[in-house]
Amino acid sequence: MRLTVVIDDDSPNALCFGGAFPPSGAPCLATVTADGLQLVFPAHPSADPRRVAFDRLAVGAGGFDHDHLVVKWDEEGTPFTLYLKDPDVIRAFRTRASGTLSAELHRTAEEVRRRRMRRRAFLWAGLAMVGGLFLALWLGSDRVAEFAVARIPVSWEESIGEASYRQFIMGHTVVEAGPAVEAIDVIAARLTGALQPSPYRFQISVVNSGVVNAFALPGGRVVVFTGLLRKADSAEEVAGVLAHEVNHVLKRHAMVRVAKRLGLVGVVTMLTGNEQGLAGLIKDLGIELATLKFGREQETEADEEGLRLLHRARVAPEGMVSFFERLAEQDAPQLEILSSHPMSEGRAERLRAEIARLPRMTPEPVPVDWVHVRASLRAP
Amino acid sequence: MKSEILYPGAFPMARVHLASGESLKAESGAMVAASPTIDVESRMEGGLLKALSRKMLAGEHFFFQTLRATRGEGEVLLAPTVPGEIVLFEMDGVNEYLVQKDGFLAGAETITIESKMQSFTRGLLGGEGFFILRVGGNGTVILNSFGAVHRLELKPEEEYVVDNAHLVAWSATTSYKIERAASGWISSLTSGEGFVCRFRGPGLVMIQTRNPRGFGAWIRQFMPVTE
Repeated sequence: MRLTVVIDDDSPNALCFGGAFPPSGAPCLATVTADGLQLVFPAHPSADPRRVAFDRLAVGAGGFDHDHLVVKWDEEGTPFTLYLKDPDVIRAFRTRASGTLSAELHRTAEEVRRRRMRRRAFLWAGLAMVGGLFLALWLGSDRVAEFAVARIPVSWEESIGEASYRQFIMGHTVVEAGPAVEAIDVIAARLTGALQPSPYRFQISVVNSGVVNAFALPGGRVVVFTGLLRKADSAEEVAGVLAHEVNHVLKRHAMVRVAKRLGLVGVVTMLTGNEQGLAGLIKDLGIELATLKFGREQETEADEEGLRLLHRARVAPEGMVSFFERLAEQDAPQLEILSSHPMSEGRAERLRAEIARLPRMTPEPVPVDWVHVRASLRAP
Repeated sequence: MKSEILYPGAFPMARVHLASGESLKAESGAMVAASPTIDVESRMEGGLLKALSRKMLAGEHFFFQTLRATRGEGEVLLAPTVPGEIVLFEMDGVNEYLVQKDGFLAGAETITIESKMQSFTRGLLGGEGFFILRVGGNGTVILNSFGAVHRLELKPEEEYVVDNAHLVAWSATTSYKIERAASGWISSLTSGEGFVCRFRGPGLVMIQTRNPRGFGAWIRQFMPVTE
């Protein structure tokens, strides 16, 4: 007697592969009988209904999520495969099957359970890892960014800085020669001569502009505007500004800012990518390195390291303080250099305290006739 | 619901005829034109949370549109954003397909769509993201691709290796593993293939003849980046 366990309706509930069936499988109605499987193919009238006894079947798990019961058998040398997903049919199949088939079913179910467990464990581990990385970026973004930046080759910084410089000077005139350029060369030589050995080659350009500002780009490019030179009263004051900017380069402040702005993607690019990728990212986000604002801690670091550099170069460090203070008093906030380097009470005090802490040193004057330099600079 | 493809090739469009009262689910933004008898309802398939998960995680648009022939029969014209083939196929109620997130264009009301989370390695390295769509039920499904669609028909146990960026859709009866394209990490990265999917039959794997990421990279080289 045939014992039909599942007949809800006669719409197909399984896919049969093999023989002359199409590669996407022939939909069929599978029912479990007392001694095996019965298959009917409503969509393939030419295919004969068939009954396959349990003892001819082999089972396993398959499909995208291992959520199919895969049943295999052989008909006169032709292999056939049935993909079952309907839970009722699978349950009936498990109930009816006996002997070795039952053991195989048990093994398959165990394997699927193990796979699902492992998948879940992997997923959680992965989520925890990604979450941890985000948390690390969020809580210790400074440290993560610095860690990534420390691994950037200087050559990347140079080419990124160079590209940014080229872009900047397209709209500006570089002063190629004259007393101002000579004076800057003298000041730069004094400062770089006092630097600890570093992989950076500093190139300081004087740009013709009324703007009172100077900025540093990654890799060693520093730009000083003639507007700033006209405001300075001495070579020592300019040396103070340059010592500050040079330390932004040495401490890779621009790249740290970029790493923070770019977030996780930036850090990963810095650790695993290339300079083109990083330059592309910077460009994608529209970060202008020439007008990049540094953080307060970075400014303080550049101030303090700048003072130490002036000290080692035997340049009177007071120039740095007096220049910023005088600008703040005279010209109020429209000066660009003050918007990026606000001359707060705190900053002046900190600078003076830092100078007082430095060992006693007799400054050597910078051999530049500053009155002559200033006179050579016409208003643009 | 009767569907046909107009202008087969790179810039095709699907024309779907709806009888009075019939409706169609379409990717939001897919509709090009429609008869005045057709109403557009934006509906979040599978509820707000599922729609949100599709939006946030699968990168899928928040809403599927439902285009319903409320005031008599009519037709709808649908087109994808990217150039490439459109394929129509009939779901038989038993076969299910997994569709990468940009591949679904439209489907009959009777089909089911759910976001499916992939395993961690597949999500991370597979290139389709962590979520893909699982499409089942009865009725017509319209998929789109970047380039033309090529069907790989895999017999039981037959294997095929596919660059993951070329995947469009595959039968739920297939299984796949992510592997490195070449042996050794260095050659995997330098061979330009990176990671590939090793599919195992039985079932269909639909692949697109162009790689969207590769195309993006190719375009990018002509855009001034560093200077």
